[in-house]
Amino acid sequence: MHAANSRRLMVVLLAGTLTAFGRLAAAQLPVDPADVVEQLSAQPAVHRVWVNDMAFFAFPDGKAFLVDGDSGRMLGMLSTGYSFTGVVVPKAGGVIYSPETYFSRGTRGARTDVVTLYDATHLAPIGEIEIPPKRASIMPMLGAQVLTDDERFLLIYNYTPAQSITVVDTRARKFVGEIETAGCALIYPTGPRSFFSICGDGALLVTTLTDAGTVARSERTAELIDVLKDPLTEKGVRRGDTWLFASFEGELHPLHATAAGVEAQPNWPLFTPQELAQHWRTGGLQHLAVHGRSGRLFAIVHQGGPETHKDLGEQIWVYDLASHRKVQSIATRNKVGSIQVSQDPQPLLFACSLESNRLDIYDATSGKYLRSVDSLGSTPTILVSP
Amino acid sequence: MHSSIDTLIEGLAREMARRISRRGFIGSVGAVLFGAASVPLLPVARGESAPQSGNGPDPGDPQTCEYWRHCAIDGFLCACCGGSAHSCPPGTEASAITWVGTCHNPADGHDYIVSYNDCCGKSECGRCLCNRNEDDKPLYMPFKSNDYNWCAGSKVGIAYHCSTARIVGVAK
Repeated sequence: MHAANSRRLMVVLLAGTLTAFGRLAAAQLPVDPADVVEQLSAQPAVHRVWVNDMAFFAFPDGKAFLVDGDSGRMLGMLSTGYSFTGVVVPKAGGVIYSPETYFSRGTRGARTDVVTLYDATHLAPIGEIEIPPKRASIMPMLGAQVLTDDERFLLIYNYTPAQSITVVDTRARKFVGEIETAGCALIYPTGPRSFFSICGDGALLVTTLTDAGTVARSERTAELIDVLKDPLTEKGVRRGDTWLFASFEGELHPLHATAAGVEAQPNWPLFTPQELAQHWRTGGLQHLAVHGRSGRLFAIVHQGGPETHKDLGEQIWVYDLASHRKVQSIATRNKVGSIQVSQDPQPLLFACSLESNRLDIYDATSGKYLRSVDSLGSTPTILVSP
Repeated sequence: MHSSIDTLIEGLAREMARRISRRGFIGSVGAVLFGAASVPLLPVARGESAPQSGNGPDPGDPQTCEYWRHCAIDGFLCACCGGSAHSCPPGTEASAITWVGTCHNPADGHDYIVSYNDCCGKSECGRCLCNRNEDDKPLYMPFKSNDYNWCAGSKVGIAYHCSTARIVGVAK
């Protein structure tokens, strides 16, 4: 290129740049309004999930993160106090229940336990119900805080170490009372006024409530679980009238609720003899999830053998509950200890673990990895879907 | 073997039942059903209990997860936090009740009953997190479960700091 042509080109470029700056200067951004706080849609959002962080390295600072699975956006957070287990999200919407514990001096002083009520659109506390300071401080489990099927009563597992259940009337927003569950733990709803707990000898304690939330009937079943030979994990999932529990050695135990109580249906193996010999087992904190419509059971699995019931997995195996057959294997992006599946016709599969603070999201039908959300607290535990 | 364990468990359970009276709930503790390790409060250490390490009768390093007594532990190792395998760090309180494991000592070939008393009253130590689950059972078998915060029932409340691994007997 000749020198004269180069000079002409530079002049043209310089003129163009100055013109562009001039236009930018003319189109200034408007001033942002002050004091804007986001608000969530009140519409049902089936692809949202609550990631509950027990904050194991900072127990007084439990958190619950709300994530939109479709966009991978964190939508908001609740600050939920000491030894947090998880939020309870009613299908009716509008409010979120959070059993919480506080000390007047952070980690010491007077202990106060409450159920905090959060507005579901503003994620702000709108009330609280004081309950006995007995809420169990445990590794989080879904069965530690549940609603009855009609969402009238909130039930919370206590361990002091005496075992009992706190009953809260969600309509009156009042503490109703406490139910003794001698030798039996956790809560698995079976109807609007009924639930069972699992007892240390392998029996179930089946409790029926009155409309006032007091005990109408309480009966122990026979010993349905061989707790010495092959105990069931307490991490059951529910499909209709049937609770599904995996045993340490990989047997799937359906416990079916009837009008008369709860009965054990025939158990069936999650693993073939060859897979057991290769040390495949279920493991993790929330290692089962079930999609009700399709009858597909998701199980976190790993190769570890006996005594590895809490180990994380790198695969999720999918079973057809009708045929009892494994129909799919999903290789996970990261090690996983907790899974949850949304209940819509195009479900998402959510996965996280205590050892990282990321949420991985999969297409629950195809198993395809979709996206991840990172930096959700420090030790995420159980995943709760609406 | 069982009779020996049963005798020990029974004694510990009776001791626990005596110690942890709760209004009307004594019978619900489940100690009789499952066997419970209720151990007396740990004596106050008069000097620093330096973590032991070596190949003697108690081999291994209590500051490691692999230490033989840690076969069913779940938490922060007190030996890393100012305490030892059997003592709590300064200013904390040993839990009155706990879960127990049965661990094999490779040095003498004996199986020992190990009581995993938590130390309570402060926030987490945050050091030497260790989770091993040999013979760990679900939450419905409380005294074989390491998923409870055993600071429950402590005078200082449920603030969990770290976990010890104290020998309470031999499972012959």
